Amino acid sequence: MDWLNKISVTCFAASYLVVFGVELSRLFWKAKLRPIVRIGFTVAGLFAHTVYMVYQGKLEIDQSGIWLSNWTAWCYAAAWLLAVAYMWFSIRKSRSVVGLFVMPLVLLLVLVGIALGDQNSFTVSEAKTGWSTVHGLSLMFATASVGLGFMFGAIYLMQAKRLEQKKVQSDRFRLPSLEWLHRCGERSLIASAILMGLGFVSGITINMLRQNDVEGPLVAWDSPVIWSSAILFVWLLAVVVINFLYKPAQQGRKVAYLMVSSFLFLLLELVLVWGVGHATGEAHDANAGMQFKTPMVARVTMTQTNTLRPQALQIRSGGQR
Amino acid sequence: MNLQVVGCSHNLANVEVRERLAFPESKVPAFLKSFYDLFPEAEAVLLSTCNRTEFYAASKDKAALPSSTQMVQLLADQSGVGSAEIEDQLFTYLGQDAIKHLFSVTASMDSMVVGETQILSQVKRAYEIATQSHGSISTIHKIFQNAIRVAKRISNETELHSSRVSVPSVAVCDLARQIFETLKGKRVLIIGAGEMAEETLNYIRDEGCRDIVIVNRTESKAQELAAKFDGVVSSWDRLSDELERADLVVGTTGAQQPVVTSEMFAAIEKQRRQASLFVLDLAVPRDFDSQIADCQNVYLYTLDDLQRECDRNRRGRESHFPKAQMIIEQETGLFFDDAVRREGGATIAQLKQQAHEAKEIELQRLKNRLDGISPEHMEQIEVAFHRLTNKILHPPLKSLQTDVTSDKHGGMIEALKKLFQLGD
Repeated sequence: MDWLNKISVTCFAASYLVVFGVELSRLFWKAKLRPIVRIGFTVAGLFAHTVYMVYQGKLEIDQSGIWLSNWTAWCYAAAWLLAVAYMWFSIRKSRSVVGLFVMPLVLLLVLVGIALGDQNSFTVSEAKTGWSTVHGLSLMFATASVGLGFMFGAIYLMQAKRLEQKKVQSDRFRLPSLEWLHRCGERSLIASAILMGLGFVSGITINMLRQNDVEGPLVAWDSPVIWSSAILFVWLLAVVVINFLYKPAQQGRKVAYLMVSSFLFLLLELVLVWGVGHATGEAHDANAGMQFKTPMVARVTMTQTNTLRPQALQIRSGGQR
Repeated sequence: MNLQVVGCSHNLANVEVRERLAFPESKVPAFLKSFYDLFPEAEAVLLSTCNRTEFYAASKDKAALPSSTQMVQLLADQSGVGSAEIEDQLFTYLGQDAIKHLFSVTASMDSMVVGETQILSQVKRAYEIATQSHGSISTIHKIFQNAIRVAKRISNETELHSSRVSVPSVAVCDLARQIFETLKGKRVLIIGAGEMAEETLNYIRDEGCRDIVIVNRTESKAQELAAKFDGVVSSWDRLSDELERADLVVGTTGAQQPVVTSEMFAAIEKQRRQASLFVLDLAVPRDFDSQIADCQNVYLYTLDDLQRECDRNRRGRESHFPKAQMIIEQETGLFFDDAVRREGGATIAQLKQQAHEAKEIELQRLKNRLDGISPEHMEQIEVAFHRLTNKILHPPLKSLQTDVTSDKHGGMIEALKKLFQLGD
């Protein structure tokens, strides 16, 4: 199985780039072979991506005991989810230009993954591996869901604007119906809220489990990552609740605006997460220079713990530093 | 290939003549029967639609084909008009031109709305009736089967049929689909019960909508329309209530003032809770106050807006016209050449057969006279006869082959048939 390690990020990134190029070509000329080329390259990209993920995942489990052990792998997994979603849309809505909106997100996540490199591994103790996986996966799915919601919202706003201005829909730039966009957007909003909630709760659970090792508050509210995550979760929850209770909020562009703003929140959140090196061995405490070791919301305030119980942190990190 | 067409269409004849020459489907068999009574050796098809009446006659033998005057006379007699009244509004095509015309008509290139798909099924139906009326129509069969094939080829290879060009079809099949994923389960309110309402309802029903409400000042008309489309009728007084519940509203009344004013809509807007509403104002003057378009999630399209879309689609179709025309030219040429080649082949075979029979008769006569001749000598005589026949036939057959394979067919087949007294 030597060929497995020959599949690199370049393989699937290049395939996705070709798919994006083919999607872009819709705007300029018609080609009967386009769907075959598009689906062919998507399948090829997804195959390479899946093989890469499985192979890298096996290596990660062998080395650190956890799957998706760093932000790079996390980004690639989120990109994979969006690529699968693209595949689904390209079959369901083959004449629409949905791909023009999804593929940039896929490529962006792959690029971010490349940019982050593989030094930023998550460091999690064995006892918390299960919860950390739930935490990481739910937030990854939530990211993909919010990303898709953003896409639905953005296309909805474009389509609604076009219809209002009575601009003719070009054959080369066909958008899905408002009803479909609205329905998909609403579903992604609900899924995002549930997954974000699951991520939040699992983060708190990790901290609760960690209470045995480290002293500190259950939730580190002073961390920008924690409070921004909490705000994003509350925002999504509020949006879903309002959506259910207040009928006009369910209609038209309101949902679209909510979805777009959720994505902006998510972007802010991700910038903060990567900025402070959340859940990786890179974030240093200002006072003690110690590293944060738990993902996302599970981080505790290190000021006290580092100075009071440095030994516990050493044990928890599994000596990986 | 002997084909002649006489007829009228929207291109040349005015609507009065077209109406007078129109044959309902039920009368076509009677027309064909009277044709076969007069011309039993020929074959015929009568195509009658709202935009054209075309009478095709074909035969294997040119002599069996009725003249254009006879065809016009039959058309006039059967439709109860004087031939002099209609003669100047009729067209006649013969041979290759008739084939080309049929191919163009079937491919919807001669239609009032170029690219409309209805004509193909109308041609198919006319051909079907012709088949039922007369068992053996092999010439017609070849021509019409080819016409249908060419129409399908044009449909596959060009985008002549791809976009819609009528206002209701663009409104329902293009625009409504940009707002609603499907019309199934949507509530459609039709204001007015005229022709435009009916035409629009045809498309709405085709899209799967079953929840149709019709509101009209004259309720009896609304009842008639509702019965046709399994809809329900609501009274004029309940227009606001119906507007409140509708997803798609179509305005088609002949009212001089807007029937839905902005004040009226503002009163129900709160109850609608900003649900998406697609308004098709197909009335002139308009049925909806233009300010309604400013309301949240209301998409109001007037006849002018829709006409713009139709014009754009029509221009799109026209851009594919040259390619379709090229296919017609190519297919007509191929079909005609093939027909001539087949006919030439049959004439050559006939000529050879005739020469062979003459040779055999003379050989037999010689054998009877030359009693006691050795088999070797007899064989040499047979070979000599065979070579003589071939040498005599060679120049005319070569000329005939050159004629049928060249672009310009010089009537050599007919000449040979006459010279050697060959039948069809």
